[in-house]
Amino acid sequence: MSSSLQMMQRPRRWTEPFDPEMSSQAVESVLSMRPFSQMQRDRFPRNCTLEGIIQNDCRILNLTNGDIIVREGDYGSSAYLVMDGSVTVSLKSLPAEVLGRVEAKRKTLFESFAQLWTNARHAEVRQYQNNTQNSAVGQRDDGQGTRVFLHDIPRVIDPRSSAIISAGEIFGEQSALTRTPRSATVVANGDVVLLEIRWQGLRDLMKNDPALKSHVESLYRQNSLNAHLREVSLFKSLEGKQVSELNEKTEFVSFGKFQWNINYRSTKSKDVAKRILDEPVILKEGDYVNALYLIRNGFVRICRNHGDGIQTVAYMGKGGIFGLREIVHNWKTGTQSAWRLSLRAVGYVDVLRIPVEVIEQSVLSQLDAEQLPRTFDEPFKNDDDQERRGGSRQKEISRGLLEFLVEERFTNGSKAMMIDLNRCTRCDDCVRACASTHNNNPRFVRQGEVHENWMITNACMHCVDPVCMIGCPTGAIGRDHETGNVMINDNTCIGCSTCANSCPYSNIKMVEINDRRGNKIVDAESSEPILKATKCDFCTDQLAGPACQRACPHDALVRIDLTDPAPLAQWSL
Amino acid sequence: MLQDKSIARNQLPRRRMINAATTLAICAFLVFILCMMESSLHHASYLSGYILLGSILFLTAFNLRKKLTFLPGIGTAAMWMQIHIYVGWSTFIVFAFHIGWRIPNGYLEGFLALLYLTVALSGVYGLFITRIIPKRLTAIGDEVVFERIPSLRLQLAHQARQTAMGTSGHTDVIPRFYLNRLLTFFEKRRGLGYALFPSGRKKRQLLGELEQLERYLSDDQRPVGKQLAEIVVRKDDLDYHHVMQGRLKLWLFLHIGFTYSLVAISIIHAVLVHAFAGGIG
Repeated sequence: MSSSLQMMQRPRRWTEPFDPEMSSQAVESVLSMRPFSQMQRDRFPRNCTLEGIIQNDCRILNLTNGDIIVREGDYGSSAYLVMDGSVTVSLKSLPAEVLGRVEAKRKTLFESFAQLWTNARHAEVRQYQNNTQNSAVGQRDDGQGTRVFLHDIPRVIDPRSSAIISAGEIFGEQSALTRTPRSATVVANGDVVLLEIRWQGLRDLMKNDPALKSHVESLYRQNSLNAHLREVSLFKSLEGKQVSELNEKTEFVSFGKFQWNINYRSTKSKDVAKRILDEPVILKEGDYVNALYLIRNGFVRICRNHGDGIQTVAYMGKGGIFGLREIVHNWKTGTQSAWRLSLRAVGYVDVLRIPVEVIEQSVLSQLDAEQLPRTFDEPFKNDDDQERRGGSRQKEISRGLLEFLVEERFTNGSKAMMIDLNRCTRCDDCVRACASTHNNNPRFVRQGEVHENWMITNACMHCVDPVCMIGCPTGAIGRDHETGNVMINDNTCIGCSTCANSCPYSNIKMVEINDRRGNKIVDAESSEPILKATKCDFCTDQLAGPACQRACPHDALVRIDLTDPAPLAQWSL
Repeated sequence: MLQDKSIARNQLPRRRMINAATTLAICAFLVFILCMMESSLHHASYLSGYILLGSILFLTAFNLRKKLTFLPGIGTAAMWMQIHIYVGWSTFIVFAFHIGWRIPNGYLEGFLALLYLTVALSGVYGLFITRIIPKRLTAIGDEVVFERIPSLRLQLAHQARQTAMGTSGHTDVIPRFYLNRLLTFFEKRRGLGYALFPSGRKKRQLLGELEQLERYLSDDQRPVGKQLAEIVVRKDDLDYHHVMQGRLKLWLFLHIGFTYSLVAISIIHAVLVHAFAGGIG
């Protein structure tokens, strides 16, 4: 039997370099540039040398005038260092069509009604006009994929509302590290050489080079942190001085893998208990309470030890605060109670950590007793009292369902399609309704993961962490500004399947397209069928809203926000 | 955020109470009006007839609503369903008043009454099975799309054949068992008896026989027996899905088919009533 075992070398961090073509001369030339030339190489560990990071986590991009480097609203996992030349940053939002996006336009009442007779008879019918590309932009193949460029930069980007980033400067690092959308569009200004650093490399560079870490963090503190802290309800009543104190003392910590979606499917077959143990621990039950944790991005599992395993008791996403009650308890009682629960990172989690002394000095002392949560010893307050007696029936979803949602990462879905199978008659009215509002093409499959009587179907969940939006070469997939729905622009989709391969839930389908007679539309050069990415668009263009939910006669189907357990508890209990 | 107009699970009993109470109140009001008309020597049957015809047309419109999913302002299908159910219930009492609590003696009236009862009782049956069958299907565990069942059956039949006929060993116990007992189960459709009263009797019987067979199997063959048992269970679950989902679809098909006949005959009946009552005008 043992002779049939396949042997392989265990994959290492740099088994797959970012650019296998990166030559040693290129690495040397990068090392001779600032900021790398100023980094102390002996600070880097032997298994993660500076040379290694540049060799394996970086690639050199040679761009020409007008090439779009990053688009506003895109999600990306790379930062860029300008090696030669300069780039232009548009300080104003560019029109959606220039960015390759689709501008959500609602149908009129007549257009809605006309779907009855205008819907195509064949599947995936498209009618493209001769010139679907916006005249301001063009596409070219740069050898590494399709690149979109602006024909005339000044025509699109007003020089008065733009900024120039010159050689030696870094951009895109905030978005890469915090998994937030790019805040501006950046284009090449003439011939430009860029060093693209993937997030793993950037993380290691920051870890081992205090100057870079301090530079990146100070940029974030300056530009974003105050606004973020002001959004936290606990800090809303604080004065500017206290917020500044918090700003200075806040630490940035990240857990888990940025591109968790890549190995998520393969780890699904692992035993659940083992999978949980693999999740990075943010704080551990029984440890000393040392800080308040604010979740900046991603999801955390709130859990406790139970028997020989770990039991999930809740989950928390962006904007969540953990540890306040413990801190208040210790502060009021003068004791040192330990953490009663653990926090584990589900996927990639970005956390702001504010030391307990800062919270005590700058926050707790400034707030009224009414604004603080009760200690563990205090009796229930009036608000809680009603809940304790069951007056308003405290709503909590079952542990099993909670575990299921976290295990399957459905907590990412802001508009997940959930079906109560105990009421669903499998009539497929939802599928027919979806087809009737999408030119006779259903945009979801009434199948999916099931827990007890709950099914999360294979319909786009419009995730808060949309990994599908990373890497689209033309910007065809993006968020609708008004609704936040993730939309695909059919005109600018080049069928590369990047989004479909990235979606951890298999909710994006690649389809071959046809003309009105049902004939395949093929590429003029290769005669290969043209592919397009399709998925649920939440009926953004429909006047009546999501057709699937409106079509269910048995109240079995709902589009629901799973990023927070409360709506689910409200609906399912 | 819960997207618009979806009722929470714990609100369903309350909704049922409110809807039932409202329906009873409306029915009581209608009965009162009809009794008043009868006692004052008016033709209450005209009023009850028009209420009935209007109700039937409204109930039929539910199917049209299903086709207009994209139109705003017409309410959700779930809301229409609720109205459909309770208006449907209330037509029983109007119908009873309309026929004067006796069996109609004319051919057309008799046929129309029979048609009404068919549609109404099929509606009650539908309400019953749409509340019962989903839970039973969910209890099975695996979810199957109805249209995919034939291909899944073929896959299972193929898998069973390969598992049974590909067994190694010096005996042909499993292949013979497959040919004698399992081949029909996998290759043929279940009979009418199963379609009417689906049960796990056949599955239990085959699993029992496979268990008894185990004593004649070598150590190598025993896992094959277990695999076959698993495939039998999956096939039986698939058959159950087919019968139950088929029942849900067939019921609706008949209910809608009879409804259109009922609408047509009701209109003819109304025209004739007016014609023989001295003209439509």
